[in-house]
Amino acid sequence: MSDERIIRGVMASSGIAIGRAIRIFDPSNISYNFQVEVDDTAREVARFRESVEKCRKQLERMQGELRGSSIPESSYFVDAHLLILKDKLFVDRIVDKIQAEAINAEWAIQQVSGELYEAYDRLHDDYLRERRIDLEDIVRRMLHNLRSKSSSTVPALSYDAVLVGRSIPPSTLFELRSARVAGLVTETGSPLSHTSIVARSLGLPAVVGIHDLSGISSGDPMIVNGSRGFVICDPDPSTLKEYRQKTRQQRSTLRRSSGTAPCTTQDGVRISLGANINFCEEAQSAAANRMEFIGLYRTEFDFFREDGKPSEDDLTAQYSRVLQALRPAPVTFRTVDVGPDWKSGDGTGSSLASRGLRFSLENQDLFKLQLRALLRASRNGRMRILLPFVSTIDDLDAAIEIIAGVKRDLARHHHRYDRDVPVGVMIETPAAAQTCDLMAPRVDFFCLGTNDLIQYYLVIDRSDQSAAQLYTPFHPAILRCLHQVYTLLQYSGRPVTVCGEMAADAAAAAVLLGLGFTSLSVSLSAYPRMRETIAALNLGKLRELAGEIMKMDSPKNIEERVRSTIG
Amino acid sequence: MTEREVVVGHRLGLHARAAARVVQLASQYQSTIALFRNDHGKDVEADARSILGILFLAAAHGSTLTVRADGIDENDAVSTICEYLRG
Repeated sequence: MSDERIIRGVMASSGIAIGRAIRIFDPSNISYNFQVEVDDTAREVARFRESVEKCRKQLERMQGELRGSSIPESSYFVDAHLLILKDKLFVDRIVDKIQAEAINAEWAIQQVSGELYEAYDRLHDDYLRERRIDLEDIVRRMLHNLRSKSSSTVPALSYDAVLVGRSIPPSTLFELRSARVAGLVTETGSPLSHTSIVARSLGLPAVVGIHDLSGISSGDPMIVNGSRGFVICDPDPSTLKEYRQKTRQQRSTLRRSSGTAPCTTQDGVRISLGANINFCEEAQSAAANRMEFIGLYRTEFDFFREDGKPSEDDLTAQYSRVLQALRPAPVTFRTVDVGPDWKSGDGTGSSLASRGLRFSLENQDLFKLQLRALLRASRNGRMRILLPFVSTIDDLDAAIEIIAGVKRDLARHHHRYDRDVPVGVMIETPAAAQTCDLMAPRVDFFCLGTNDLIQYYLVIDRSDQSAAQLYTPFHPAILRCLHQVYTLLQYSGRPVTVCGEMAADAAAAAVLLGLGFTSLSVSLSAYPRMRETIAALNLGKLRELAGEIMKMDSPKNIEERVRSTIG
Repeated sequence: MTEREVVVGHRLGLHARAAARVVQLASQYQSTIALFRNDHGKDVEADARSILGILFLAAAHGSTLTVRADGIDENDAVSTICEYLRG
């Protein structure tokens, strides 16, 4: 009997990890509480103050390390922790409690933090409620400091571990970076939480927002698929073998692809292969693997990372770092693509009436702020600016006018920027696919976003599981659409890069190449695999294949035909 | 004592980072500084030097806060904090 279970969550850091679970326990379960003699309360207060001081030193050291790392902006979570250590709502109340009730420091910390957790839980704002992780982190650290002499708050690990917990504090993760941690999974958190950010910068696969992890115990074998957002508990030997193979392949192809040899098909045709990133920290690992170019940097996650309105200076610094890390590879920055409900992070909850460029045109202050930051950063490398979800020429003209205005304004204020930053359109609505030739004279390049295009062409909601099997890039309508876009832009002199998931599937990529596209951009984790796939394809054969499938009528038959041809 | 009302201009309201900034600003002054938010006729108060207190105010974007300072530099303190809260 198989015990294998798949649990779905939200992708927070890509890659695959295989290991055994280690549960990160709630510290309140493990400390020892007792009454003390009234005379001894002064000693307990002193112990408590000592542990506060020790925490402060540990956090200040961590802050220094973070500031010098590739994620200096993350040192901010430490700032919040240091302020909590000074907060009288926390510190003074614990001291009062020790004295008034004659209890040990541990017990007082738990009582006060318990009251504060309740205050967090009463908040109506999801984001604020989640900030209780800051307090949990401090409490865990303090209880540890009270208990032991060593300064590391985590045990040495003797095997590859997957950290499992309701939440895992970012500081724990950062301290564990040299230990044998392979990945992590949590119940709370989002791709934007600090733990996810630290996981990405350390290259640790992570899945967050899993509904219930209570069934997983320390020692259970598990696989974390951070690229797809699920974990496999107690995997079958065959699953384990398959994933071992995958990780081995990932490592060996990454090593091989670290050469700068261009990506070519079996019959020697040069194909441009780039990578997509969602977070600025991923620029480091893309650079380490010498990606040819970044075909798509989805900037909305980083844009809305900060509380409040993002700061132009911070964004400029962040974009500059991305460009510098990847130089001389070009990076395509897609301007913020979200709707009114941008808190959902992926824009799925947003109304179609106000998505992508439409949202930017309705919220011009945010659009201009981002454009200013982009242009100010532009001289640090090779930047391209991509406009998302364009559906009318009028919107495009309005956006181009705004870009020109921002440039004039920057020049007036003596800011230097690259005057020739290419501006492009993301073709992801049927309207853009039909009219890309009219857009071509106005822009410098195009990207083809197949995910949305397929969804809107076939009238499928991708978030609706019951319609999932209807979503196929092999539908004749999609093939015709792709063929049309290729033909309309063929002589325009405007390069086209295909950026959606479609480019990362071997069979679908074969169709794209057969239809004439020569530039693809795929997720970081799919990159090494796609290099190998392309090297094994024969473009001459794919052209013939494309001709044949254009005459076929059933998506299922088309897909089978393509898969059997490429083997 | 100096007191002034201000509408929170930060897009996400007084979230962790903004709260931390208020504490840092308030710590530069000698005066005691408090923030008040009127919640259904009841005033909720927070010490401007308490990050937890400010978070628990849960002041959303567009909500009105009263900033009150008492001390030798109360005027400066109120202006600086109001200016920051306006976003």
